[in-house]
Amino acid sequence: MAVRVNGENFEAEVLGADKAVIADFYSDSCVPCKRLSPVLAEIEEEYGGKVKLVKININFDAELAEKYEVQTVPTLVFFKNGAEASRQSGALKKADIVSEIDKL
Amino acid sequence: MYDTIIVGSGAAGLSAAVYAKRAALDFAVIEKEYLGTGQIAESERVDNYLGLYGESGYELGEKFRAHAEALGTTFIEGEVTEIIPENGGYRVVISDGNSFAAKTVVYAAGASHRRLDIKGEAEFSGRGVSYCAVCDGAFYKDKDAAVIGGGDTALGDALYLSKLARKVYLVHRRDTFRANKALQEQVLSKDNIETVLNAVPVEITGEKLVNGLRVNQSGTEKILSVNGVFAAVGTVPDSGVLKGIADMDGNGYIIAGEDCVTSAKGIFAAGDVRTKALRQVITAAADGANSILSVEKYLSENGGQIREN
Repeated sequence: MAVRVNGENFEAEVLGADKAVIADFYSDSCVPCKRLSPVLAEIEEEYGGKVKLVKININFDAELAEKYEVQTVPTLVFFKNGAEASRQSGALKKADIVSEIDKL
Repeated sequence: MYDTIIVGSGAAGLSAAVYAKRAALDFAVIEKEYLGTGQIAESERVDNYLGLYGESGYELGEKFRAHAEALGTTFIEGEVTEIIPENGGYRVVISDGNSFAAKTVVYAAGASHRRLDIKGEAEFSGRGVSYCAVCDGAFYKDKDAAVIGGGDTALGDALYLSKLARKVYLVHRRDTFRANKALQEQVLSKDNIETVLNAVPVEITGEKLVNGLRVNQSGTEKILSVNGVFAAVGTVPDSGVLKGIADMDGNGYIIAGEDCVTSAKGIFAAGDVRTKALRQVITAAADGANSILSVEKYLSENGGQIREN
């Protein structure tokens, strides 16, 4: 299960993680976000050895969204060694996410 | 070979699936979005679907889908790239290269958001330009936003945003709104919604993120200082794959009446993609039902001329 992160534990959970991290910025009312959930669960199961998945609810943690200039949901920000490597937004398909993981 | 292939899993496609199942047709639904329910999913609240007052669009869509699933509908994920006449029926090709033969096609692919086609729109897409207020509204808590458009969607978006944003400008190119009267009254009663009428959007400005919307209001240019711009200027039909196969009107809607019969034998158009006076979820659901009646009639009259391979 993906951990919910916020401003307090973002540094430890994401920037200081021992593997690559996918940060899923989502909101409660967003349908594409709801549809992405089962896809991300599959990703976590299949690629859990390589990447860690965390979730950021922008309704509660707006300052993190602001800091990373996320203005649309869902947005997946891919972090490697404490820095952003790439990002994807919108109604994503599993293949799009897998190809991004392969590049990490 | 399927009796019919239903293209699209919005209200029209799912309703067609329910009727196709009850007619004991051999069919499948092709959908571009996994577990899709169409445009209704983006509506915050639906107040005009009979018997389901006040339902969220998302929940309503899920109910439609659950109904079609409960009857055992087969769903195939893929975007239709080609529909080719073959042996008296059609071959429907999808994006991964797979294809399916069917005697008839119920084309219910719906419509997509219309773009504004102004400077800055593409550049700031996802950085302050949005087509889904319910999705991205939370980013504008205590900030200023503009909604562009004058229909039900635009006014609904403005109302939704007025609960979050400090100020909402509702920008419309005419001096009256197309949206229903009840929505208009709600919008006008909100202190933090300012209508900007007779105003044509010219450019979305910003640096890394949006900081303004330049409009031409009755010949005078002015800049609205906003952090976000929500486009709700209608939809365009997703009818491209039927170009040259079925007749369309000047806007790309497939010409068909209530029976959904198109100029192409064996192709039926249902939902928002069809020429009609009112594009709402309830008329889309009605089209789904009518289209299957037309499929049955067509198969009983022409089925003998379709070769299996």
